[in-house]
Amino acid sequence: MPRFTLARTLAYGFVSLWSVAVLLPLLWMVLASFKTRREMFMDPAGLPADWTFAAYGRAWKSGMGQYLLNSLLVTSATVALIVILSGMAAYVFARSESRALRGLYLLMVVAFAVPAQAVLVPLYQMVSAAGMLNSLAAIVLPYAAYGVPFTTILFYAFFLDFPQELEEAARLDGCSRLRVFFSVVLPLSGPAVASAAIFQAVFTWNEFLLALLMLTAKGAKTLPVGVVQLRGEYTSDWPGMLAGLTIAVVPMLLIFVLAQKYFVRSLAGLGK
Amino acid sequence: MTRNPDRPKAAPMGKAASALILLLPAMGLCTVFIFIPALLAIIGSFHSFGITSQVWVPAGLSNYSRAMADPVFWVALRNNIFIVVGSIVLQVGFGTILAAILDSGLPRGTTVFRTIIFAPMVVSAVAVAVIWQVILDPNVGVLNTLIQSAGLTPPKLGWLGDPMISMWVILLIAAWQYTGFMMVLILAGLQGIPKEIHEAATLDGAKGVTAFFLITLPQIRNVLVVAILITTIGGFKAFDLIYATTLGGPANATQVLGTYVYLQAFNLGNMGYANAMSVILLLIALVLGWLQVSVSRRA
Amino acid sequence: MTGLKTAMRARAALAGMALASTVLPSLASAQDPVTLRMWALSGTGIEEFYAAAEESFQKTHPNVDIVLEVQDGEAYKTSLQVALVGSDGPDVFFNWSGEDAQRLIRDGLVLDLTEGATADGQFGTTLSEGWLGAFSRDGKIYGAPANAVSKYFYYNTFFFDEHGLKPPSSFGGLLQLCRDIRAIDPEIVPLPLGNSQRWKMNHYITVINERVMGNDALRADYALTAPDDQLFTNPGYATAWEKVLELQQAGCFQDAPNATTPEVSRSMFSSEVSPMIFCGTWCGGIFDSEGYTGYSMFRFPPIEGGKSDGNSNMVVPEGVQISAKTAHPKEALDWASHLVSAEVGALRAELLSAIPSDASLLDQAKVTEQFRWMAADMTSLAVQYNVIDVEVEASVANAYLDAGTEILNGTMTPQQAMESIRAAALAAKAAQ
Repeated sequence: MPRFTLARTLAYGFVSLWSVAVLLPLLWMVLASFKTRREMFMDPAGLPADWTFAAYGRAWKSGMGQYLLNSLLVTSATVALIVILSGMAAYVFARSESRALRGLYLLMVVAFAVPAQAVLVPLYQMVSAAGMLNSLAAIVLPYAAYGVPFTTILFYAFFLDFPQELEEAARLDGCSRLRVFFSVVLPLSGPAVASAAIFQAVFTWNEFLLALLMLTAKGAKTLPVGVVQLRGEYTSDWPGMLAGLTIAVVPMLLIFVLAQKYFVRSLAGLGK
Repeated sequence: MTRNPDRPKAAPMGKAASALILLLPAMGLCTVFIFIPALLAIIGSFHSFGITSQVWVPAGLSNYSRAMADPVFWVALRNNIFIVVGSIVLQVGFGTILAAILDSGLPRGTTVFRTIIFAPMVVSAVAVAVIWQVILDPNVGVLNTLIQSAGLTPPKLGWLGDPMISMWVILLIAAWQYTGFMMVLILAGLQGIPKEIHEAATLDGAKGVTAFFLITLPQIRNVLVVAILITTIGGFKAFDLIYATTLGGPANATQVLGTYVYLQAFNLGNMGYANAMSVILLLIALVLGWLQVSVSRRA
Repeated sequence: MTGLKTAMRARAALAGMALASTVLPSLASAQDPVTLRMWALSGTGIEEFYAAAEESFQKTHPNVDIVLEVQDGEAYKTSLQVALVGSDGPDVFFNWSGEDAQRLIRDGLVLDLTEGATADGQFGTTLSEGWLGAFSRDGKIYGAPANAVSKYFYYNTFFFDEHGLKPPSSFGGLLQLCRDIRAIDPEIVPLPLGNSQRWKMNHYITVINERVMGNDALRADYALTAPDDQLFTNPGYATAWEKVLELQQAGCFQDAPNATTPEVSRSMFSSEVSPMIFCGTWCGGIFDSEGYTGYSMFRFPPIEGGKSDGNSNMVVPEGVQISAKTAHPKEALDWASHLVSAEVGALRAELLSAIPSDASLLDQAKVTEQFRWMAADMTSLAVQYNVIDVEVEASVANAYLDAGTEILNGTMTPQQAMESIRAAALAAKAAQ
């Protein structure tokens, strides 16, 4: 039974304060995108005099729509690839006793520690030599590569706890290892797949450095690169820039709000 | 992450062809895009060359000794450690507090709070950087306007222009963005604790804060380890936020390893030196990764 | 004698080929279509400019398609280097003269245009020696200079008239101007300085160095050819930093220049919150596009006690270079020459507020009075010099950029600033 003790009030207060601190900058961003240029400088904290969509028109024209689409395509493909590849590898690791495979798993952990920017130039030259620059389809591969280690570790933990009786039963029925994995284990791995997918979706969606260097053609850029370019192009058109940012930010937020219940439930599997 | 010893063990997967088929794509991808470039970077660290150089000049250990003698390298390393420690305190610390509050069952609004606080996570770091740079602008930014109308004085050199406070500001912006992530992670862990444990604790007379520290926290130990590990590795990899706000300035006050490597490699053309620092960064990340594996294995 | 004849014959053949390729496009167009990848810096009006230039180019080269890619400042330099080393880089690209261009030349990444450029109808025959030198090395031409940019003080003519202020004729006058403006209203920032990316202060110190020491005294230090014990030891360098401090103490700048972006400082001027700004020749176009045209300009005044009479200014040539890996050197050269021709120069002036290298068509171009004033002023200069962060070796430039930030924050004295710069210069010299 909820009681309105001091502790409870303090708790409420703290959480509310934090929420407000989180919301305000985002709200201000949306608000300011409706202002005119002069208003931004003369009256930073005030409300817009006329709520005008002009800034959105300018931002859209600079290509934000295309960038949004590119990010969507790249992220979906990357996440699908990561989940499938990691799931398969983690299953082998989790079900194996061999020392060699243990070693390979450790290698995977090592791979997780490698930051993309540390190996940026050799990576870029490799992609460039393969003719994969500016190709959305092709950047999915390096993106997926950098998401696989973390996701493999995630799935590894999950598969270690996965009840093996079901797999036993399937094998006794004559299923091959592969079929066991695809027909029995994977369908029942919903929570792990969901967590992995959401994590990797967020990281891939926001990836900046590789996209900056490898996707330079106008039609190929992803959202984060487009956002930084907005700042350079819109020298002092802050409402335009903030409108572009709003376009960049709102879709993900909406998806998140709609999916968040599912997301949190699936996260419960992570820490086990 | 532990094996239940009571469960019957299935026949392990050995060198079966099926094992290879399942394993190869992932290992192949990682080898091509992670291991090979890493190897090239290590080799490069023992040479001297620019991006556009045709020739790699062997340089022995000189790049490494240069890093040891370079004051900016140490400033960057110090800043990375600052971010890691600060982020653990702020993001994991406050994340835990927020998660505990939400888990203890506020009468209403849990979902709303959770959604709001997590929201900045889905905004890309560069977007966050640009928004905050506009808000923190010393001349026409909305924050200073509000501070001044309250009669207070904002920092003279600007939030991001004062070498004394700029690193703190970056830390706070990062916390603004990522604390929600930690909160949700830990909350999931808390919600996974079986009710029996809470009931047993109450029966034993433990309540409130004591119960939390002595009983609840140990139960979510694995989650906390994961949270701390993600924060740590993330702290060492920090790049996007700083690149898009201060670029390591003013005068290297907010320089971190990621941005310094970028500066040396691409602005100053010292690829060999940049590679050496990257290798050092890599080693640090490796040690931390190894720690996670050993700590979680003990659990 | 035979050698000369052969050379002349070769040159004639080359000229003939070049001439043929421009005069007989119909033959070329019957062949395969060519795509040229063009890289440029992002900015106001860039897309329109290149679209218009491509349109006029296709009148003589209908089979050539130009694919434009733009990037913004920081990213451009990085991406360009990485792209040129790879196999998928641009064919033709924008670059600044000075160290950025020289580094690419040294590493063999740009095409030697000496032969092609001096052929009939190509840019080598229409531009002056001075311009051509911008992208040259050891007497060979490695790029086509398109335009130059410079810096001026812009001022709000209405504000000045209203308060009886006049453009200063000396540095002391500039300081007094700042004091006078603060006296009118202490809240007004006379000269906003947007140094968050470090180059604004670098522009100031470039000009101040020359005003204090004279251009000739700087050359050996900038080129790192001075003997070690004299490198950057001229006391004038520290004096130059002191001049910056004097500007600060006179109240010219706002409190937080290192946290202010260049964009914000420009907006403070164009929204008439501040009455002056030290800005590039390209800023006029930006102000115009924001709806503010009530401005005029004056040159950085001479400094009392300095060795320069002030009939000099910072001029940074910019242009295009051609990748050594291009598959279409002929078309690339034609496109480059077209970009720096007089007719495109007029477009450049109109759309980008850039002062073209071939100014012969400028009279007929639709440009503002202020633009004409600046273009004329630039041609009247006795001495031109490049900006430090483009001219000087990268790590020394970096030391200068950081020193500017620290001077403004008060964390370094002028002497300490010069010590750090001298140290960087010595290290760079040793590494060469």
